[in-house]
Amino acid sequence: MSLILHLTSLIALTVVSRLLPMYWFPSLTTAIDHSVEFSTPITSYRSLKEGLFLLNSLQWKNVYNGGVVHHPILLLKLVNLFQCDTTLYFIVECLITIQFYFLTRILLEKVPKLKEQLPVWVPSLMYCINPISILSFISKSTIIFSNATLLSTLLLALHHNIIGCSIMLSLASYLSLYPTLLIIPILTFFKASKNKVKFVLITLINLQVLMIISFKLNGNNWNFINGTYTINLNFEKNYPNLGLWWYFFIEMFMEFVPFYKSVFNLFLASFIVPITLRFTSTSFDHFKTYAFILCLGWMNLTKPYPVMGDTGFWITCVLYFLPLSNYGNYFIISILLLIHSIILSPIFYYLWIELGSGNSNFFYAISLVYNLALGSIITDLVWGMLRFEYDDGVPNYDLKLTQI
Amino acid sequence: MGLVERVKRQVAVMGLVPKLKKYLPLFSKIIALISLISIAILPIDGQYRNTYISENALMPSQAYSYFRETEWNILRGYRTQVENMVDLPLTERNDIMETWLNDIGAKTDTHNNSTIYGIFHSPRGDGTEAIVLAIPWHNSEGQFNTGGAALGVSLARFFWRWPIWSKNIIVVFSEDTGASLRSWVEAYHTSLDLTGGSIEAAVILDYASESDFFDYVEIHYDGLNGELPNLDLVNIAVSITEHEGMKVSLHGLPREELEERSLWSRFKMLLRSIKDSSLAGIKKPHGNEAFSGWRIQALTLKACGEGGIDITTFGRIPEAMFRSINNLLEKFHQSFFYYLLLAPRNFVSISSYLPAAVGLSLAFACSSLGEFVNDNQDSIPFISSYTLEAIIVWFLSITFSFCFAITYLKYTFPVMLMFICILFSFIPLISRGLPLAETKITVAHRMKAFAFGYFSLVLTSLLMINFPLALTIGVLAFPMTLVKISNTLPTSSQALKNSMLLLVSNPYISICAFSNIFDSELTGLATLDRLIPAWNDMNCWTWFFSHLAGYHAGL
Repeated sequence: MSLILHLTSLIALTVVSRLLPMYWFPSLTTAIDHSVEFSTPITSYRSLKEGLFLLNSLQWKNVYNGGVVHHPILLLKLVNLFQCDTTLYFIVECLITIQFYFLTRILLEKVPKLKEQLPVWVPSLMYCINPISILSFISKSTIIFSNATLLSTLLLALHHNIIGCSIMLSLASYLSLYPTLLIIPILTFFKASKNKVKFVLITLINLQVLMIISFKLNGNNWNFINGTYTINLNFEKNYPNLGLWWYFFIEMFMEFVPFYKSVFNLFLASFIVPITLRFTSTSFDHFKTYAFILCLGWMNLTKPYPVMGDTGFWITCVLYFLPLSNYGNYFIISILLLIHSIILSPIFYYLWIELGSGNSNFFYAISLVYNLALGSIITDLVWGMLRFEYDDGVPNYDLKLTQI
Repeated sequence: MGLVERVKRQVAVMGLVPKLKKYLPLFSKIIALISLISIAILPIDGQYRNTYISENALMPSQAYSYFRETEWNILRGYRTQVENMVDLPLTERNDIMETWLNDIGAKTDTHNNSTIYGIFHSPRGDGTEAIVLAIPWHNSEGQFNTGGAALGVSLARFFWRWPIWSKNIIVVFSEDTGASLRSWVEAYHTSLDLTGGSIEAAVILDYASESDFFDYVEIHYDGLNGELPNLDLVNIAVSITEHEGMKVSLHGLPREELEERSLWSRFKMLLRSIKDSSLAGIKKPHGNEAFSGWRIQALTLKACGEGGIDITTFGRIPEAMFRSINNLLEKFHQSFFYYLLLAPRNFVSISSYLPAAVGLSLAFACSSLGEFVNDNQDSIPFISSYTLEAIIVWFLSITFSFCFAITYLKYTFPVMLMFICILFSFIPLISRGLPLAETKITVAHRMKAFAFGYFSLVLTSLLMINFPLALTIGVLAFPMTLVKISNTLPTSSQALKNSMLLLVSNPYISICAFSNIFDSELTGLATLDRLIPAWNDMNCWTWFFSHLAGYHAGL
């Protein structure tokens, strides 16, 4: 009974908290969609609308020809099915809220300490009322499709549902490329090696099928791979965003660009395996989930086109680390850094682009602060996990340990 | 990391954290004091710098200026005509001016039937950039700008005969220095048909007398929302004015203090800079404010006093400035965009004065932290119903102040607002007899913590855009952090003290008091009245920020 009550009120809250601002300030969608914090060339609603227009116009044979659209063709087709795309966004957003609820429920069973600290509805509520998530939703950034599939992946992995999990993971990878790497942390959820092989195989087959469907839908043309994935890997559209990439490539000699792009990609990929290996070989079963969330955070930190929508989603996931919160060294500092950088980044962007009294260094400096905040949260979480393991699950806060 | 680790261990060994926690309110006061001192020492030798022309292409006064004897009679002829226009309605004045500009050879157009402008297309450029010469018919004091209008049209005639211009020249005649000029600038960037490219710089002429002679030149440069023109523009204006043998006055400094070059004079100028910049948009505009927000570097030249300097000498300042700006190949970007001028040729750059505002913001953050941990508050977990209650109150007060701001925009009621504010301040005194329940005390602490934290955040976000405003409201609101919540029944003196502190730090009361004491122009409740037209006419943020930041914190 309380389940239905919880779910209905959460869904109602999700809808109300997003519908009211959209209703009161109709221009908000465009305004936020134009801000670099919430939209990048590959996730923006503008580009999606352009894609839909090209899809429906007769003159254009191929949506990727113009070099403006970077959304996967299946997503375009899906949005195209809906007369009013806001409906689809609301459905997906409610799906995320519901999934957070069920994820919390299953984690509360697996992590006994969490039960005392976290009521089952808190993470979904935090996702509902998180201003970053609300703004990201209002900007109609397509990041929520990736977030929804990622959350399903984790949920189904916890349920040991191999087929569902692999479908969701391949969908997430199909939507935004980098989640392909998450196949590694997900593998640890399946104990028997037969299942692992099965999972990898099904994921690969799913990806193949998705590619072939896209190929067919795209008029037997492979150029969607260039339009959606190569641009991501190669960082082909150099626009300012909150990430670490763009500033490096604005004034680099052309000869060095391919090298550094591969280094940046390697940097992103190289930490997935170590994190997974370190934290899944312990006796704590729930560390698998934690490793997954950590990998997600790491990818948000280092990917070429990060948006606030990623952070809003990830911060909610971080709530599950609550049993480790007392181990955090600079939790308050990270939160303060995050809040200040989120507030200051539009201001510095305004100083640079609108007023002309600042320059790009201002904005990059504040995006560094933002990334420092994310980075320090990740380090704190890693430290907390290591301490938790050291204390063998029985916290001993009096014992002071430091790294060597 | 090694060093940080070592410090951390030492801190842990000495048990510093619990000891230091107690002193957080003291820290807050000390940091605020330090930031005030760091502002106050700026006029000392070694803290400020001499100005210099950063962009080499400008070369002020390097070319001989020709607006001299040959133009005397033309200027006087125009002036005699303009003198007769004082009593004419605006449209007739504009019609006459339009025929003159057409005769000279400009393309003219009117905006809203009130502002007339003419464009001289550059003989040597691609016509994508422009320099504006703006002449309000009435200056900021409401006097008829006789000399300015005559100078404007004769300068236009003079410029047009030269083949050297690589930027279009736009001459604008608006009714006043405020709303009409602002609406022209906005229309220029949005709806006007006749345009001359992006405006690089604007010079506003104010010569409100019919006399041939004047004494010294006032330069006004404060834009809205803390925006300033690039320091290079102010530098060439100062350098040219002094090169032509005139005295420069900044921020309306009176004649007799112009030659002072002492610590005390620089200190006074510093205060004037901060005051004028934070009240820009509330005070009567000089005209350059109208150009804020469009990447236009603008300043006002105002001829003052009666003396021995000829009106054509005044005309040579815009002439030489236009020739300097004409040399630019790029937008103004070299020099400083944020500075405080201590004298016409002394300045402080942002890196020297910004720490003061950061310090104030930090002081509020310290108070906020202090409210969390002191008075046994740290034993109560952060995630609790008290915090939730405080967050809800905080959120409601923001919503309330937002709605209140919108209401106030529609219906202005300064006296009542003042009355309500004073009433609010005396709540501690009135409610003295009612003891707070134990739980309420925690909520009160949490509320204060959130309010201060929020205030610190607002200050931080404001200080990059509008340092003087951030500093002013930071200082004015600081008494708020001294308000104490006592666990027992407050004594009457404590309650009175709290009331006084609230009274002093109430945003409306303090802003009114501030402008009354320091500015002769704004008396009584005038500031509050002005805040509204400032918002309406000039999209000024001052009102909004003081509202959002201060109001609920005062609650």
